[in-house]
Amino acid sequence: MAKLVLSMNGSVLGNYFLEKERFTIGRKPVCDIHINDQGVSKEHAVILTVGNDQILEDMESTNGTHVNGQVVKRQILQNGDVIEVGRYRLKYVNQKAMPDMDFDKTLMIPAFDRTKLKVVGEDNVGEDTASISTAVSNARNVKTVFPLGVVRGIGGGVMGCEIELVRAITPLGKIGGSAIITRRPGGYFITHVAGKKYPIVNGKSIGTQPYALDNLDQIEVGMDKLQFHLQ
Amino acid sequence: MKLKHALTISSASDAGLVRNFNEDSVVADDDFGLVVLADGMGGYKAGDVASGMATMIIGNELKEKFAKNVGKSNGVDLETAMLRDAVSRANQAIYHAAHNKTQFQGMGTTVVITLFRDNVVTIAHAGDSRLYRLRNDKLEQLTIDHSLLQEQVQLGLISAEDARVSHNRNLVTRALGVNQTIAVDIRQERALPGDIYLLCSDGLNDMVDDMDIELAMVAIKENIPLLVQQLVTMANDNGGHDNISVAAIKVEKPFPLRTGFFARWFGAAS
Repeated sequence: MAKLVLSMNGSVLGNYFLEKERFTIGRKPVCDIHINDQGVSKEHAVILTVGNDQILEDMESTNGTHVNGQVVKRQILQNGDVIEVGRYRLKYVNQKAMPDMDFDKTLMIPAFDRTKLKVVGEDNVGEDTASISTAVSNARNVKTVFPLGVVRGIGGGVMGCEIELVRAITPLGKIGGSAIITRRPGGYFITHVAGKKYPIVNGKSIGTQPYALDNLDQIEVGMDKLQFHLQ
Repeated sequence: MKLKHALTISSASDAGLVRNFNEDSVVADDDFGLVVLADGMGGYKAGDVASGMATMIIGNELKEKFAKNVGKSNGVDLETAMLRDAVSRANQAIYHAAHNKTQFQGMGTTVVITLFRDNVVTIAHAGDSRLYRLRNDKLEQLTIDHSLLQEQVQLGLISAEDARVSHNRNLVTRALGVNQTIAVDIRQERALPGDIYLLCSDGLNDMVDDMDIELAMVAIKENIPLLVQQLVTMANDNGGHDNISVAAIKVEKPFPLRTGFFARWFGAAS
């Protein structure tokens, strides 16, 4: 169960469990967290619970709502986030809301009851997007502990070119044969893609299997000759 | 009508690095131009039963129907009706199994299907398994997830950007086997030579960014089996938190149902 720990100047004032779909924070006595302080608006912020997400929304408060020092309008809370409302701090505690840790088994839930949640604000029109990217934030780049690789053209059409191997895949060659260099947790690999001619590394054909590249390996792909460097 | 000459199809399914079982199922048939991919859920190994039932029942059902319609010149609506029927059959079978056997209680499965016929691809899906298409080196998602996350974005509760930090990626709003009836989304698209269609379970698109999926498809479009393997590898390199299933279909040439003058004429016009 998610909870908020309310504190001011380092002393804890209370714990509040987020058991409602719409949890309110403000100066009005009816608010779920009632803070009687002039720096806090009547209805300062709300927290909406949608599935496993708790979404904090500032209700156009006079002094604004901050999360971890940043002004926010609306944000999905993550375990350990610190919400600031006036002079008060609210620490969000939810072991289930860890970034990149939520690969629970798939569950079926009924489609959303749209009448239950009232979102206030101007920009709640809904995005007319057909698709959303769900890839977790750490999936953007392979975590690599080795130096960045580059290939430098030493013959053929790529003579003098330098290609930094930054992305997960770098395509090479065209005429006669093509290959990819992949950036993986264990290092860089070259793999044949198409064409009759397989890539040649240090004078030997690599065939169809991925080949782990070492510093200063000489590569031939199609008509192009390149050298691999770890920087 | 054999489509093997017109389509290159390859698929792979992998348990990933964290899960002990693979609860995804894939059936691909390049003669029929059919791919069915399902991501099962629920119970001890029951997800595997649900996804296996879905791919098998839908595959068999469609092949049977087509055997009875060989050579007929069909309107596009026939494919839609056939897919809807096949998904409905699978849904009922899984629903009954889930309600009659305690070990199957609560099981269900997503499904995404592509059926290639007469230069058209008919697409059906329920749940959060996806279909992408690469055309002119641009990646496009052709299915909209039936997930709480998608609804949150559509309602404007969160932005598409914020979807990455949501904790709802595992909550689907539609699945086969959960209710007695299933609402399935069906659409049709003209399939053009050079197109690559990519079906996947969320074990791919939760672990590999769309930009990197596009990069792989562009760089490896000349080798579809390698493309499929590379996508699975990338999902595992990024953590492999879930089962990963991928199927890719490349349209090599037109595949009209009718041959002769009209087919050539229409083929040239499209």
